[in-house]
Amino acid sequence: MEKSVVVKNVTKKYKLYKKNSDKLLDLLLPKEYGEEYFALRNVSFEAEKGDVIGFVGINGSGKSTLSNIIAGIVPPTEGTVQVEGKSALIAVSSGLNNKLTGRDNIELKMLMLGFDKKQIQELEPEIIEFSELGKFIDQPVKSYSSGMKSRLGFSISVHIDPDVLIIDEALSVGDKNFAEKCLDKMNEFKAKGKTMFFVSHSLGQMKKFCQKALWLEYGELKAYGTIEEVMPQYEQFLKDYKAMSKKEQKKFREDKMKQRSQATV
Amino acid sequence: MSAAWTVLKEQINHFYLVRRLSAYEMKSANSGNYLGILWEIINPMIQIAIFWFVFGFGIFNREKVDGHDFLPWLMAGIVVWFFVNPATTQASKSIYSRLAMVSKMSFPMSVIPTYVIVAKLYQHFMLLGVIIVLLATTGYFPTVYIIQLPYYILAVLILLVSFGLITSTLATIIRDVQNMVTSLMRILFYLTPILWVLDAKDHPLIVQIMKLNPLYYIVEGYRASLLGESWYFIENWEYTMYFWLVVIVFFLIGSSLHVKFRDRFVDFK
Repeated sequence: MEKSVVVKNVTKKYKLYKKNSDKLLDLLLPKEYGEEYFALRNVSFEAEKGDVIGFVGINGSGKSTLSNIIAGIVPPTEGTVQVEGKSALIAVSSGLNNKLTGRDNIELKMLMLGFDKKQIQELEPEIIEFSELGKFIDQPVKSYSSGMKSRLGFSISVHIDPDVLIIDEALSVGDKNFAEKCLDKMNEFKAKGKTMFFVSHSLGQMKKFCQKALWLEYGELKAYGTIEEVMPQYEQFLKDYKAMSKKEQKKFREDKMKQRSQATV
Repeated sequence: MSAAWTVLKEQINHFYLVRRLSAYEMKSANSGNYLGILWEIINPMIQIAIFWFVFGFGIFNREKVDGHDFLPWLMAGIVVWFFVNPATTQASKSIYSRLAMVSKMSFPMSVIPTYVIVAKLYQHFMLLGVIIVLLATTGYFPTVYIIQLPYYILAVLILLVSFGLITSTLATIIRDVQNMVTSLMRILFYLTPILWVLDAKDHPLIVQIMKLNPLYYIVEGYRASLLGESWYFIENWEYTMYFWLVVIVFFLIGSSLHVKFRDRFVDFK
């Protein structure tokens, strides 16, 4: 099988500062200030062409950071990411300009992604058709409902014909009809052998759609394998976590938090 | 040096992108109000009127400045300020305020300040047209000297883009730079011969120091073209050389800063 995405030892560090002055000193002086926080630590995995991989993990485990890194929006601090072909990220807030109309946003977004005039003219009618926005397409985006926004974002992203598609919680908005239409489109992609990543808290949706799962726990890779292997483990973890008392939960979180950050001063 | 080359290539290769994005920039800036883009004319006109009343009618007591009536002299110089001031402040916040829209690291980020400045350039053309008509009504009909105007427009555009590269990068890393730029522009408004000018005969040293400001060159050049005085950039060729030297230094500093930090811009969101 051909490799489509190779993620190797990816680490993403953020700096946490107690004071604004620390931030400035850190920028200006060679000495390090502030506390380092690992959003991701040493994550490696490979995806093959045609894989549909779900990212699971509780809130703040680094799923969105990982999606952003694969999509090439955020650079990793350490490690490398190789993506075969184009990648596209679909998120609820997918960078639309509120003051412009939907139609303008389509062109703007495609220009930002490096399309030329001709390609944009060809794809525009299809995108409008798929988004089901009707006459709202010529209204400013600020008048859209959140469902309409995500429909527009989704339509643009799927029509730029990406080789790797990353869907971050975007399908939780929008009605059932549109969600089905999206699933159809995604099945079409699956049949074409494109790689997809799926971030969702809905385990049901994930089980139905993904073949593989990647479990992140506090920024580290906990398990990666077929959905049948990983899901039961994750569900067990969720059950155990829920069964803990409030105090235990808090202690568990704090321990993990401590591992994740390290002071430099 | 290689950074300057990278940025220069990006500017040239993405000319179409700059044009389209600047058109949208202008559209979204004026989408909320009814008079829309007309405000870009109305605001300057109100300001010119009040400056004329306070300085021309009041403080200078209807005296001539450099052999011209105050109002045409003011209009010919201040017209470029209405381009320089918003373009500089907008350019310096251009990158950090648009980071959410840039959804690819491969996006040529150095064109962001450029297209924001170019969007202001369209408005400048409109205002310039109005000012040329108004000058004609005060007796200053376009002369042959007006053909040097495109040179100054190009010069100020390149100056702003070079300076914008510096401020947009620094403001992304340290937001306070934005406030500093706003203050700097306020200071420069009074230190550039827009509202008043020092006579070089009386204070040669101070005038020399004030001429270090490259905007001095631009404003005087605009006046020479619009009031039909002289071939300013040829007659003051040493000053022309100095101006372009400043532009090149700005561009070199700006592009090396930009290229050094651009991979990390998203982390400053």
